Amino acid sequence: MVVGDIETGTEVAVVGAGPAGYVAAIRAGQLGLDVTLVEKDAWGGTCLNYGCIPSKALITAADLAHEAGDAEHMGIHADPAVDLSATVDWKDGVVDRLTGGVEKLCKANGVELVEGRAEFADDSRLRVVHGGDGQGAETLVFEHAVVATGSRPIEIPGFDFNDGPVLDSRQALALESVPDRLVVVGAGYIGMELSTAFAKLGSDVTVVEMLEDVLPGYEDDVARVVRERAREVGVDFRFGYTAAGWESTEDGIRVTADPAEEVAADGGTAVDADPDIDTDADAEPIALAADKTMVAVGRQPVTDTLNLEAAGVETDDRGFVETDHRTTTSVDGIHAVGDVAGEPMLAHAGSAEGQVAAEVIAGEPAALDHQAVPAAVFTDPEVGTVGLTAAEAREEGFEPAVGEFPFRSSGRALTTDEDGGFVRIVADEDTGFVLGGQVVGPEASELIAEVGLAVEMGATLEDLASTVHTHPTLSEAVMEAAEHAVGEAIHTLNR
Amino acid sequence: MATREFTLPDVGEGVAEGTLEAWLVSEGDQVSEDQPLAEVETDKALVDVPSPVDGTIERLHAEAGDVVPVGDVIVTFELDAGESGAGTQASSEPEAPADEAGADGSEPEPAPDPDPEPGPAEAPAGGNGTAEAAGSSSSSSGRVFAAPSTRRLARELGVDIAAVEGTGPGGRVTEADVRRAAGDEESSSSGEPATAETAATDTDDGTVTVTAGDDGAARAAERPPGDTVASPAVESANRDRTLAAPATRRVAEEESVDIDAVPAVEQRDGEPFVTADAVREYAEKQRQAQAADATALATGEGETVDTDADTDTDTVAEPELETSDASDASATEREEREPYGGVRRTIGEQMERSKYTAPHVTHHDEVDVTALVETREELKGVAEERGVRLTYVPFVMKACVAALKQFPYLNAQLDEENEEIVTKRYYNLGVATATDAGLMVPVVDGVDRKGLLEVARETNELVEQARDRRIDREKMRGGSFTVTNVGGIGGEYATPIVNYPEVAILALGEVRKKPRVVETDDGDEIRPRHVLPLSLSFDHRVVDGAMGARFTNAVMEYLRNPDLLLLE
Ligand SMILES: Cc1cc2nc3c(=O)[nH]c(=O)nc-3n(C[C@H](O)[C@H](O)[C@H](O)COP(=O)(O)OP(=O)(O)OC[C@H]3O[C@@H](n4cnc5c(N)ncnc54)[C@H](O)[C@@H]3O)c2cc1C
Repeated sequence: MVVGDIETGTEVAVVGAGPAGYVAAIRAGQLGLDVTLVEKDAWGGTCLNYGCIPSKALITAADLAHEAGDAEHMGIHADPAVDLSATVDWKDGVVDRLTGGVEKLCKANGVELVEGRAEFADDSRLRVVHGGDGQGAETLVFEHAVVATGSRPIEIPGFDFNDGPVLDSRQALALESVPDRLVVVGAGYIGMELSTAFAKLGSDVTVVEMLEDVLPGYEDDVARVVRERAREVGVDFRFGYTAAGWESTEDGIRVTADPAEEVAADGGTAVDADPDIDTDADAEPIALAADKTMVAVGRQPVTDTLNLEAAGVETDDRGFVETDHRTTTSVDGIHAVGDVAGEPMLAHAGSAEGQVAAEVIAGEPAALDHQAVPAAVFTDPEVGTVGLTAAEAREEGFEPAVGEFPFRSSGRALTTDEDGGFVRIVADEDTGFVLGGQVVGPEASELIAEVGLAVEMGATLEDLASTVHTHPTLSEAVMEAAEHAVGEAIHTLNR
Repeated sequence: MATREFTLPDVGEGVAEGTLEAWLVSEGDQVSEDQPLAEVETDKALVDVPSPVDGTIERLHAEAGDVVPVGDVIVTFELDAGESGAGTQASSEPEAPADEAGADGSEPEPAPDPDPEPGPAEAPAGGNGTAEAAGSSSSSSGRVFAAPSTRRLARELGVDIAAVEGTGPGGRVTEADVRRAAGDEESSSSGEPATAETAATDTDDGTVTVTAGDDGAARAAERPPGDTVASPAVESANRDRTLAAPATRRVAEEESVDIDAVPAVEQRDGEPFVTADAVREYAEKQRQAQAADATALATGEGETVDTDADTDTDTVAEPELETSDASDASATEREEREPYGGVRRTIGEQMERSKYTAPHVTHHDEVDVTALVETREELKGVAEERGVRLTYVPFVMKACVAALKQFPYLNAQLDEENEEIVTKRYYNLGVATATDAGLMVPVVDGVDRKGLLEVARETNELVEQARDRRIDREKMRGGSFTVTNVGGIGGEYATPIVNYPEVAILALGEVRKKPRVVETDDGDEIRPRHVLPLSLSFDHRVVDGAMGARFTNAVMEYLRNPDLLLLE
């Protein structure tokens, strides 16, 4: 252990090679700093290996299979067979290309790559423990450190990820065959993305969700579009239930769930609020037969792997490292970025933070002063949001001007055979500044980029409306929504 | 609780950095607005950096001795309730997907928050209603409508973008707005949109970076950058409308003065009214300020003397930088390197400019000041009763003024750009002073209009302030001629460097008793006399050797015969 323990110095030590950490490392390298990036598992972190990329690969494959088998109205007859292990191989190929790219980029920018688990010895030294036996450890003396250790899924009582039939999202993305029956616990964005994908691949999917709707945090009309479409592809919802446990049965497992307390007490109201949602008002525990169950109830920061206390870095009561808008923690010279530094736990937010951390370390006047961080959900249809909703704008003291354009009025949407959803633009009535947007519909994850640019640039409704958009494209919907907000829409009735 | 970051403001004259000499507060301290937080040594003086807010010091970001670039965060405040900053707001993303939705209410683990809140990385202050100022619509959230590139520019220039008034569509802040706020484009206070007020009315929903646009800098903005027209001393109005006669407007045009900037003489029909004289006075002040801005420090070779021992002389050795062989890295133990900055560098730059711009000539002579020594001896007691320590310097200053009146070219400046020699009708005399930080030249204004004791008192005060480095930078500007007292430390003759753009500088050696030939009724006799050596350096472009000598003669005449000063 201590034998062969060597001490090396580095200007910047980055712990964790996810989208937050590797971006920080590359940027720091570009700025001429001497950088060491330590990763205990895989270059690219959760995002490239077990998160964004694998899930999107699986979703694409599922969409393709599903659409091909559901195109008779377009005169296409097919009955695609899915070989999931081949799909997973393909996905792994994509992941390998990307992670290989990260490694190459790091090296090309002079980043020293070290494999191992890093933990703080004090506020200027990290101990890097190498995996495997006899590999020993080394000490890294740093001037600046960037903590980018990411997050991991939350486990709930009764469901242990080590048990065969219980999966976290990472394991679900590595399945060799499509489970006949899948119970998904949690209807957040990861739960919904994978439920929809597995349903399209042929699983019988039941989603157990404590709350009364999918995608908490999103507006009702946005969530509704996603929920309805999920039902159409065969997802069954059990809202108002908390998963309690599981047991093996002769032909698989049985997942039990209890009525969620809030709903039991207030079930009537929930039903009244949206008669569409079938909360079981009689509130009896339920049992669901399945082959696998995937738990996706949220993610928690990884702060227990690196002995933060030794450096004196403080975390908040949810375990996130506390940082300011320059990504600095409570300890001078130690930064934290990405999921470990808190919401929004999104790859691009982490990357943006990583860049700022590197620039701050290099002495540049960088800061996280983004107006908004966009978010996308890759359900069917997709959701893309950025900035303020109308309600939030009002809360912030704006008089919101809101414009909408439904995809059923979009020529391009109809020709892609996807006409659900809408684009909504929220602006300040007085000045016309675009404050935010919500898109639910085809390619929403791409469409939101334009709205994000508008928010970030301080563009006005007029700017969006007066920009000529290509026809026929989905992006016209953004222009039309802006026109609608100023009462000048052509292809929809003005408000 | 909202926090606010405070960056080192532009403490004037577009200084790029300052040395943090000392913190006057510590972490955890409760401070009130305007309370001095730190002493920062900039190019020319030690300045106090006042707190922009009421609050608690959460964190100090620099250590005493650090060289801090303007715009770098030096303090994080925790704001008192009700205190709201304007925000370069960090993103608070309300749309963040609520993790993977909480499906289990009984889950004791950190459960996903169904009501996502901005993460600590984005909005440490907590976006939700911290110091939410009730009221106005568009800026109510502290949002900044500006392109990311513009926001970055603001950070680079140390401008608090939230305080900048936008001129783009809908009030969007443009790059030009930011540059203007930074004082890059506009020299005078006109068009300076960043004010403390605008900053204060914005609400805070995030962390705030307060920079040059903020109060501290708004104060600094009254002192625009060095080589521009206006100067701290010049008070300029900034109106939209001004009443004035057409002739007055013509004068303003001739003088290249913005009439809306001229302080109003009176109100007529409720409108500010300006006269031609007011315009001229303002123009003159601007010119002086310009000159002053260009002038920083003068040089004498060294310290100021006072034959009266300790008075204005400290035996301060100039910091000596050994000539070092930089290539010899191993020599580090035998050498010490220190940053060339602050006052030291300003002195250096000023010397360099003077020496390379003005061809120097130095004229030497000595004067018998036995009578002056007696006069001073007589007056010293009287002065002391009035609380004034009387040295020779005020006598010399008075003598210089009398001589300057006869030789206006020595009280002048060469305006290279317009190819004009500007002779001055004011007599503001710089007194070179040795301080711990280096040479400084406080300026005693209007020496011609002041009595000897008044000049003495003011000189003493300014010299003391300079020594304590508490002197206002304005007090070191606008000189028309400089006196340097090298004799206090010893020595006779010097070759002082002119305090450019002034034209001449007079160095005084030590007053010593020397055997001198005196004409008496019994013929020539050798007697012990008090002798003062003089060295006058001047800019040969403006003053020729003969004039320099004649001027020196005139000064000597007054010093030999101090009674003559009574006639002045
Ligand atoms: C199924 C799924 C789908 C997702 N889809 C999206 C999406 O579509 N869009 C999106 O924006 N986000 C998505 N996310 C979230 C996204 O993956 C994360 O926000 C992102 O990966 C966070 O990046 P990070 O760099 O902070 O951490 P991570 O990517 O988690 O990387 C942290 C790295 O640090 C390493 N590490 C931890 N401790 C140590 C230590 N002590 N020493 C050395 N190394 C250490 C870990 O091994 C890991 O590789 C998804 C997540 C999941 C699970």
